[in-house]
Order: sequence, then structure tokens, then C-alpha cells
Amino acid sequence: MRELARNPRAALRLTGGNIELWANLLVISWAVAFMLWQGVGFAITLGTVFAIWAILSVSLNLVVGFSGLLSIGHIGFFGIGAYAMAILTSDASYEQLRTEAIPTLGWPFFAALPVSVALAGLVAILVGIVFNRFRDDIYVLVSFGFAIISFNVFLNWRALTRGAFGIHEISRPEIGGWAFDGDLAFLALVVVFLAAVMLVSWFIVTSSFGRVLTAIREDEQAASVFGYRVTHYKLAIWVISAMMAGLAGGLFASWTSFIDPNSFILLESILLVSIVILGGLATIWGSLLGAMTFVLLEEGMRFLPFLPNEYVGQARQVVLGILLVLLMLFRPQGLVGRFKL
Amino acid sequence: MMRALRQNYAVFLVLVSLLALVAMGCGTAAPVEVVKEVPVEVIKEVPGPAVVKEVPVEVPVEVVKEVPVEVVKEVPGPEVVKEVEVTVEVPGPEVVKEVMVEVVATPTPMPSMEPFVIGAMDAVTGPGESYGTVVVQAKQMAVDEINAAGGINGRPLRLIIEDSKCSGQDGITAYKKLTDVNGVKIILGTTCSGAMLGAAPLAEADGVVLFSASATNPDIAEAGDYIFRTAINDNMLGVDTGNVLWADGVRNLATITESTDYAEGVRRTTVAQFEKRGGQVVAEERYGSDVTDFRSQLTKLLGKDPDGIHLAAQSEFSGGTIVKQARELGYEGPIYSEVVPTGTTALEIAGDAATGLKAIIPSPDLSSAKGAEFLSNFRARYGFVTLPWFLGSAYDDVYITAACLEKTGDDQDADGFRDCLYDITWSGAIGDNYSFDEKGEVVGLSNVLVEVLPTAERTEENQSYKVLGAAPTE
Repeated sequence: MRELARNPRAALRLTGGNIELWANLLVISWAVAFMLWQGVGFAITLGTVFAIWAILSVSLNLVVGFSGLLSIGHIGFFGIGAYAMAILTSDASYEQLRTEAIPTLGWPFFAALPVSVALAGLVAILVGIVFNRFRDDIYVLVSFGFAIISFNVFLNWRALTRGAFGIHEISRPEIGGWAFDGDLAFLALVVVFLAAVMLVSWFIVTSSFGRVLTAIREDEQAASVFGYRVTHYKLAIWVISAMMAGLAGGLFASWTSFIDPNSFILLESILLVSIVILGGLATIWGSLLGAMTFVLLEEGMRFLPFLPNEYVGQARQVVLGILLVLLMLFRPQGLVGRFKL
Repeated sequence: MMRALRQNYAVFLVLVSLLALVAMGCGTAAPVEVVKEVPVEVIKEVPGPAVVKEVPVEVPVEVVKEVPVEVVKEVPGPEVVKEVEVTVEVPGPEVVKEVMVEVVATPTPMPSMEPFVIGAMDAVTGPGESYGTVVVQAKQMAVDEINAAGGINGRPLRLIIEDSKCSGQDGITAYKKLTDVNGVKIILGTTCSGAMLGAAPLAEADGVVLFSASATNPDIAEAGDYIFRTAINDNMLGVDTGNVLWADGVRNLATITESTDYAEGVRRTTVAQFEKRGGQVVAEERYGSDVTDFRSQLTKLLGKDPDGIHLAAQSEFSGGTIVKQARELGYEGPIYSEVVPTGTTALEIAGDAATGLKAIIPSPDLSSAKGAEFLSNFRARYGFVTLPWFLGSAYDDVYITAACLEKTGDDQDADGFRDCLYDITWSGAIGDNYSFDEKGEVVGLSNVLVEVLPTAERTEENQSYKVLGAAPTE
């Protein structure tokens, strides 16, 4: 104890360096408590936003963190899932709107969700076969291309997506007459899916399959010398990750009940990559922490009081940017990450 | 150095969170407006012999400035305005001036002074920022004016502004923040149709009034009972443009359209009306909001030799640039458009190329007395004016809200407020005697056809265009 008093930093050693994690958790639980205290409904909304973004960031971490493929086109799969959900569940009431209508299929949510997932996976296979030919910097560029292409498809395939008008009145999930129309019910549903996604991801990264992925990340040639068919592994994780993003997209569409191409712009994709890096590459908990930190930071900024009314919105973005820069300065490996890009 | 900082990461986190705690603590404390300027008004002049009243001075004027900020912030109740009378002896012909001083002082419970709290959601960042920022400024200006004039029934009006960007997701989070954290039942917003359509189902379910100044997507008409707007539905704008095209003798039309819901909506109804009258669209082009050069698309359009070009733009930059580049490419025929290319920024970009540009804009235009006064006040406060119609619309929304709050006397009474909006007939900056129909759509505002003047004749007063008259109906 006397030594501790003389040198407080010894406390850091005592906890094995994990004090960082505890500090993070402390801050976040404090922020969550603050949000709950502010308003339960608002906290539930933030919880839903967090869970959807957490699914996305966990799925992207499989590709970026565990496999070393820096993709900035992930938002495309998110969009495919969302649009699949929106189009499949649009029902006959849509015909009555005065503006241009889309096919009215009227599927229930739980039938449309697997299709959203499968469709994202299907597109990922096609895209992935091409993308497998690229590595490193070039991979970033081609995935950038994918984000741009998917945005323009959403914007210009007007017969299906209503283009810039977006699709609204997307239905909420329903099972046998019981609808998830309450905010809390929907949050519970999204959290269940988040847990499932985390479980699957955990299985993947702790399996031998996951270890091969890590090996590919560290040295692709070495992995192939050992006889692993590198392209197959890369394609598999790419498709799995895209399917998870499609799932998040389906949930997102149903939650907001309105989507338009602006929700799937490249900027959102970059934001997603920042969340993954912020949380820490190659750690599932990190992605969760990253998504939570990000949502809490962005929404917590709404409570900053120090500026005139007209400018507080802009200031929010600036402060958010500064905080992100500071975090990267102090923790280049992310909040709980061990691996640097 | 950096290494040491990294090792102290935990300390850093705790510091940041402490700072945030302090900041948020201030933010959630009772709203206090510190009076910065002490308005000194001469209330009356008393002619004749010297009348010197001895009035005990309660608070010396200097004290106002010295009130420590901490004390003011910790005031839990609403602020109290004390009137202090100070008599001043003036030499010469004796005149007694009473000086009114507003002081933020210690609280005494005065429930009647509790402010009316309403929310505003606007796109102050992101793609709709150019609209959202000025719309917020117009709203804030109206609120400040109302408060300076004594508030509503003596109660001040307080506006809580949230950023809803242009997306459904941010529309929802901003809506939840306002309704759940601030307990607001009346929200002025949103700027963009996207955020509006995201938040509208929630507002409809919760019974919260959404009142937009600039969301024009036709789908909003069907959004529900609590959804209102002073923005004119795109459909109406397009029908008028279609009629103007036909009446001007255009038969072969080329269209260039920004890929946004507003511009697409205008184009769709314009073309539908134009084709109904018998016209033909010979070429069409679309561009994303991030495009900066339109020469190749314009060249394609001009290759089809159209009688007229219809330009549907959402951003002033693209609107101005397209007009400029079309003229640079040698096109001499007429260009038709709507509000955006007549904005200040667009006309600055286009310069003389915009001369003769015909546009359908909502009317009566802002050259009315109220509109002109509003615009000159806005220019005095913020130093510029752009998109005057949307500014006026946002400004009027606040005054309509104030009028309805005066009637209902309760900012939590959304139903009463809604009924008031259905009943109200208003004359403001954007027009006289307009009201809302059963869908919450504004009626009584109509569009006029205007023509942009040559650069030499453009002034702030004439908004750079002359009004040619009402849009032809047939």
C-alpha cells in the first residue's frame, strides 16, 4: 500500500492493464444511465439504433478485423437488405398513394427477413468473386466502387425503389396477430438478433476457420503455401458478413418505416469503418463497444448547452469529430483492440 | 509525450466524462436567459416644471453585469423580470425619464412566466444543410421577436432545435429526443421530406403536431392528422410549370433533373401535365447532388433540339451552374424552372446567363409589406438572404404557432393546437389569408410566373425578377 501511495501508477499494473476496459465500461454505463434518466423512450430509441449499428459493425469486423480486407462498401449490403424488406412487405394500400407505386407483394416481416439476408448474400457472392482478385489498397478502392454503384442503383431503379422519393410505411414485424409495434418490443427483437449475430461471429472466430482467416490476414501467401484455398475462405467470410449486414438492413427498414437512398450513402459506410476501428479490430466486444460509444457520443452531443440555438447542430458534428480524433490519438488500436491496421 | 498520454488513457477518459458531466449538468438545468443588453427605453417625457420623484432604487444598474454566472445558472425556477424605476434628473428643460431595466434576479415563483416550449427539427448538417440552417435562423429570429415584444400572453416562447439531417433515422432520434426528453408536443419541422416521413408515423401515433416549412414531398399529404405544412406540395408546382410550358408554345421538351425527391417530384408532375396537354419530352437527363459539371449531359439534351428546357434542381449550386453552362454551350431557347435557380446563390453563379429564365414560384411573393420587412430584418441580423420563400415560410410558422398557443394557452395540448391550425386563417410574410385543408396542406397560396431580370436591374428589393402574373391554369 505504501508503494501504491508513492507511485499511483502501480494500480495500473495491479489490474493487469485492464483498467482501460473498466474505464470505458464505467463511462459508457454512466452515459447509459444519463440517457435513461433523460427519458426512457429516447434511451430505447438509442438502444435500437445502437443494436442495428452493432450488428453492422460486428459483421464488418469479421471482414476488416479478422480477415484484413478493408471494405468501405459494406453499406451496400445494408441497403440491399433494407430495400428487400421495404419492397417485399409493401402491401396493397400502397397503390392508393397518389405517387408512383411499387410492386405490392405484401409479405409478412418474418418471411421477408430471410429473403433480405439471402439476397444480400447472393449479391455478395457475385461481388466477392470479382473482389477476391484484389488485395490491400486496391481492395479499398473497389469496395468504394461497390458503395457508389449500390447507391446509384437505389437512386435510379425507380420502378422498384421509387428512387429519391424513398419507400415509406414499411410494416413492423408481426407474429400471429401479435405485433412488435411497441418500441421496447422492437428493441428486444433487435437485441435478440444482435445476440445471434454475436454468437455466430464468436463461433466463426474461435473455430479453425477463424484461425485460418487470421492467418490470411497476417500473411496470405504463407496461408496458401500451407494448402489453404485462400480465396474460398475470403469469399465465405465476405458472404457471411454481407448476410449479417442484410439482416441489419431488414431490421433498419422496418424500424424507421421509411428508407431512401440517402440512408445508404458512402459516408455512412466510412462511419461504419470508423466504428469498427474505434472499437478495436478483431474483437467482437470491441465492435459492440465502438457502436455504443459512437451512438452515445453522437446523441449525447444533443445535450451540449454552450452555444446559441442556431448553431448547436453544426457544433455537434465538430465536437464529435474532435472526440474521434482524440480517441484515435490516445488509442490507435481502438477501445479494446489489440491489433492495428 | 504521446506515450505518456496513452498510458494515462484512463485518466483522460475520466477527465472527458467529468467535463461532459459538467456540460450536461448545465444543459439540463433550468433554462436561463442572461440578459446581455440592458434595454434602456425612454417611457415618457414630462414637460413643464421639474418633477423629481424619489424612488428607492432596488438594484443599481451596475449590479446587473456583475451577477455571477454560476448564480444565474443555478436558479431552479423560471427567470423573473423585475422592473426597476430609476429617476434621473436632467439639466435644462426638466424632463424626467423613467428607465426600465430588466434584471435577472433571485427567484420568486411566478408560474405565469413559465415559457411555452416547442421543438424544431431541421437539417442543420448533411445534404439539406443549405436549407436547414437558414430555416432555423428564420425560426429563431421569429422567436426572438415574439419574446422581445412581450411573449405570448406574457409568457416567453422557447424553441429547442434538434438536427434531423435529411434521413429517416435522424428524424426519428431527433423526434424522440424532443418528445421524450424535452416533453415537447409541438414540433416545427422538418426541413427535408425524408426526415419528415421517418418521424411522421411516430408523431401521428403519439399525437404530436409536426409542422413543416419546407418539406414538399407529395406523400406527406397522406401522413396523418397531426402533420401540417406551409410548404406547397410539389404536385401543385409541377402542374403549373406544365401549363406554363404549354402556354408558351413549347412542344418538344428536354428535362434535366437532380435525383432528389423534391426535384423528381416536380419533374414528374410537370411532365405529366405537359404530356396531358399534348407536349412531348424528347430528352431527359438526371444528375446526382454531388455532380459539378453538366456540359456533357446538356450537350446530349441540346442534340435533340428541344424548344425548351425544364430544369428541376434542389441545390442552388447545380441550378445556377446548369443555367450558366447551357448558355455557354450556345443554347438560346427558353429555360423553365422552379424556386431554386432564382435563389441568390444560384443567380450569383449564373450571372447574366440567368436573364430571361422563367420560374414558377410560390406567391404572393415576398415583395409584400410584411415579407419585405421580414427580409430586411433577416438581412440585418444574419447579413445575407437566400431562398426567401422558405425563410418566410419558416418565419410564418413560428407566428402561426404563437397565435395558436395564445388561443390554447398550453404547449402540451397538441389536440387543441391541431384544431386551431385547422381553423386558422393567416396572413404573414408568404401571403395573405392562407389556411390548412383537412390533410394539413396549405391552401390559399398560389404560384406565379416570374422572369429573371438582367444583372443590371437586379436589386434586393425586386429579388432579381419581375412577376409576369399568375400561372396559367389552362
